[in-house]
Amino acid sequence: MIPEPARVPKLYIDILDQVFEIEKKLASIEQSNSISRNINRLKELMAAINDDAGLSYEVPLGEAFNETRNDVDASISGDSAENLVITEVIKPIIRYRKGGIALIARKGVVIVQSAKP
Amino acid sequence: MDNTINFGIDLGTTNSAIAKFVKGEVVIFNNPLDYGRATLPSVVSYRKDKIIVGTQAKQYLERDPKNVVAVFKRKMGTAESYKIKATGDSVTPVQLSAEVLKQLKTFVNTGDQLNAVVVTIPASFDTIQSNATKEAGQLAGFDQIVLLQEPIAASLAYANMKKAKDIEDGQWLVYDLGGGTFDVALVRIKEGEMRVLDHEGDNFLGGADFDQLIVDKLIIPKLNAQYKFDDLRTELTSASGRLNGVYHKLCHLAEQAKIKLSAVPSAEIEINGFQDASEEDVDVEVTITRSEFNDLIRPYIDQTLDMIKTILTRNSLRPHDVQYTLMVGGSTYIPFVRQRTEEVLQIPINCEIDPTTAVAIGAAYYAATKPKEITKPTSAARRPSALSIKASYNKASKEKDELFAARVTGNIDGLFYRIVRQDGGFDSGLKKLTERVSEDLPLVQNAFNYFVLTVYDGQNNPVETDMELIGINSGFAISGQPLPEDICLEVDDLDHPGATRLLPIFERNSILPARKPVTLPLTRNLIKGNEQDQIWINVYEGPQTSLPAANKPLGVILVTGKMITRDVSKGSDIEITFNMSESRDLTVAAYLTMSDQEFKNVFNPKARETNVDLLREHIGDLADQLDDELETATEKEEYETASHLTKLKKQLSQLVEEADKLSDDDVTDKRYQLEDQKRKIAQELDVATKDKRINKVKELYMKVKDECKEMLDQAGTDHERNTFRNIVAQEPSFLSSNNPLRIQEKSDEMQHITGQIRWRTPDFLLGIFKWLCEQQHRMNDQTQAKSLIDAGRFAAESKNWDRLKEVDYGLLELLPRQAKEQAASKIGFGL
Repeated sequence: MIPEPARVPKLYIDILDQVFEIEKKLASIEQSNSISRNINRLKELMAAINDDAGLSYEVPLGEAFNETRNDVDASISGDSAENLVITEVIKPIIRYRKGGIALIARKGVVIVQSAKP
Repeated sequence: MDNTINFGIDLGTTNSAIAKFVKGEVVIFNNPLDYGRATLPSVVSYRKDKIIVGTQAKQYLERDPKNVVAVFKRKMGTAESYKIKATGDSVTPVQLSAEVLKQLKTFVNTGDQLNAVVVTIPASFDTIQSNATKEAGQLAGFDQIVLLQEPIAASLAYANMKKAKDIEDGQWLVYDLGGGTFDVALVRIKEGEMRVLDHEGDNFLGGADFDQLIVDKLIIPKLNAQYKFDDLRTELTSASGRLNGVYHKLCHLAEQAKIKLSAVPSAEIEINGFQDASEEDVDVEVTITRSEFNDLIRPYIDQTLDMIKTILTRNSLRPHDVQYTLMVGGSTYIPFVRQRTEEVLQIPINCEIDPTTAVAIGAAYYAATKPKEITKPTSAARRPSALSIKASYNKASKEKDELFAARVTGNIDGLFYRIVRQDGGFDSGLKKLTERVSEDLPLVQNAFNYFVLTVYDGQNNPVETDMELIGINSGFAISGQPLPEDICLEVDDLDHPGATRLLPIFERNSILPARKPVTLPLTRNLIKGNEQDQIWINVYEGPQTSLPAANKPLGVILVTGKMITRDVSKGSDIEITFNMSESRDLTVAAYLTMSDQEFKNVFNPKARETNVDLLREHIGDLADQLDDELETATEKEEYETASHLTKLKKQLSQLVEEADKLSDDDVTDKRYQLEDQKRKIAQELDVATKDKRINKVKELYMKVKDECKEMLDQAGTDHERNTFRNIVAQEPSFLSSNNPLRIQEKSDEMQHITGQIRWRTPDFLLGIFKWLCEQQHRMNDQTQAKSLIDAGRFAAESKNWDRLKEVDYGLLELLPRQAKEQAASKIGFGL
């Protein structure tokens, strides 16, 4: 039987979305800096909210998409629905991990497009 | 077995849902593959080998219209059918509705066999359409289908919520504005009979239209005003347009803004990540106010209200003849929809039921009143469980997906299977069962992945098999080896100034590779350029409960004032990240947050690092400790221990001599030999005195516990008593662990409770105040100190204890740092 999806406070999800946004913007800053260290720190803190459980996000950029994939809400861009890949991640997949088990706390929101031959 | 139907289904044009009546309450089943949602998009997608229903199908709707069908409910009862490209077949609206009903069956996780159900239909459905809905129910495997009109279902949900046993005679409107359709109905109850008198609707009006309006009328003009585009609208909305991907993103952002505007007066939409025609990066924040949004949707809402006016005129009703307008459908969350409906119609609105699930809930209430006409077991229960599945797959994998293969024996005619990952992130869809099944199963990295393979009959009733859960471990514990000993970091023991203790980083038997960051506050200042200011990062291998010197040093990183780019203060953080590879190479990276500098080193357990300075220091510390222990043992007349310690002392004196002779850059193996000897002596000391240390912490714990109990009896809160009881309940486990650190930890927790209570007791506050008054001459700001002391005296006289507490805190802050620490230890501050 499929377990109930992980229910976590929305505040945590909102914080992780912001961390993801900062990380995304950081990629465009060319000057060297150590901001990523703070981002990693934030991610580590969220990954260990409790002793053995926490939240983390996954950025499925570039991964294949098809109808079996249920961890993202996808909008298909372009005029083909074949060989789709994720071309933009609007919101990352947020996972709740406890022990070795990883549940989905919030689906990702992505844009997918047919991979060019 | 229940003798009423109990299950209700809202078979909606855009979304569907299923609910069950259980002991007076209705439970709405969640969509197991769409987190937090109780609804299933009424969309069906066909592939060569499978059928997909719901969210995943909806995603393909626009781009693959030849294989995906939606809004087929409108065609119920017509001769029309949909040609599916992937299969070459045609499907009817009845078949499509049956697929949705079958999918809804899989939401039910209560183990019920579903053979009877109430299904809702729009008020506008005629007999043929109603019969078509019944047919869809039969195709989905229901033996008994009872139909119920949607507005009546919503009204029942409301009546039951209000616990109104008998609804008074009267009439009301049910206003149903969903994601893509609008319906309104006039419902009347007379002498206990509820019926729909009149209805109107628009099949192309709903929340999704509002999202597109925001993009079209607000975002596009703002982008055009600020950037250069040749034809932005076409570039966005055309499937082959350069910015088609951006369009979907904008619709999503618009939807988020729309939801936000239901709660706050304005919402920001951040738009970036693409370029205009002159290759300038678009990066703009568009603010949408609620009034802008309201102006946008007003014409559409007014259209719905015109339909209601038509109903009222047709039925010769005036607004006061109607009790209220019951708001149903997700779009009725929009405040303007509610406000405008009430304002224009002059009929009070009623928003008390959950607009997205009301119809299914009402259907379930109705189902609880309808007797089951059939009691025969379902076809699934009749089917003998002769199906055997032999599966083959790797139980551990580092790949992104793993091939699953199975051989099925038994009668497989007309059966289907479906594999779903336990987190719901993968769903194979419903596929025809064949003798050999093979499927690529995508894995969540670094986690245990469980998949469930379920076999269904043609009506989505589960068929019993001998298939067990498919478990695949991804990422870790595959080739990783367990760690033979604890890996620890030496830290200052703040409870025992001058002493150190071990902080476990990786515990014994942890699986490698492993990584762990720790952040600790510095306990000393580092002045730039000063060689004497040092931070030692000492990593040890060995039991965390031992003394640092008794364990094997793995490596050292020394950071001195000469190495830093600016002064670093006590209290600022040092982040130390430990990474241990499968081959047990340990990478330690220490990062000083204040100077933004990282110091990194890789230690190999085979090539141990021994720092001569540190070795001498440790030998010195060990000698001091040994002297103390020897003195105690002699005092307590523990002659056996004392004699053992004397022997150790002799060995150690020799070691001190040899270490003194060693030069800092000695290239021989001498330092390693001395290190080994030192460790052996420390281990022996550890063993000889361990019992004493454990007894000491146990004694301390008991003392602290008694003190805490006394304070709790005097002035403890319920929460504090609970915390105390929890700690006491854990006593058997931590007291018998023989782990001094664990026992110490519990003493600290007790002390924390005691401290909290103390700071509420007048005697304690007065005592501290008196002590602080005596310290006035040492305080940093005399004027402020005087004024606080005056305030404290007044607070004491007037017995204003909260104020006195504030004064005490304020005065403590004025003490020089050292004095403050001293005071803190006296009064139970700190960690």
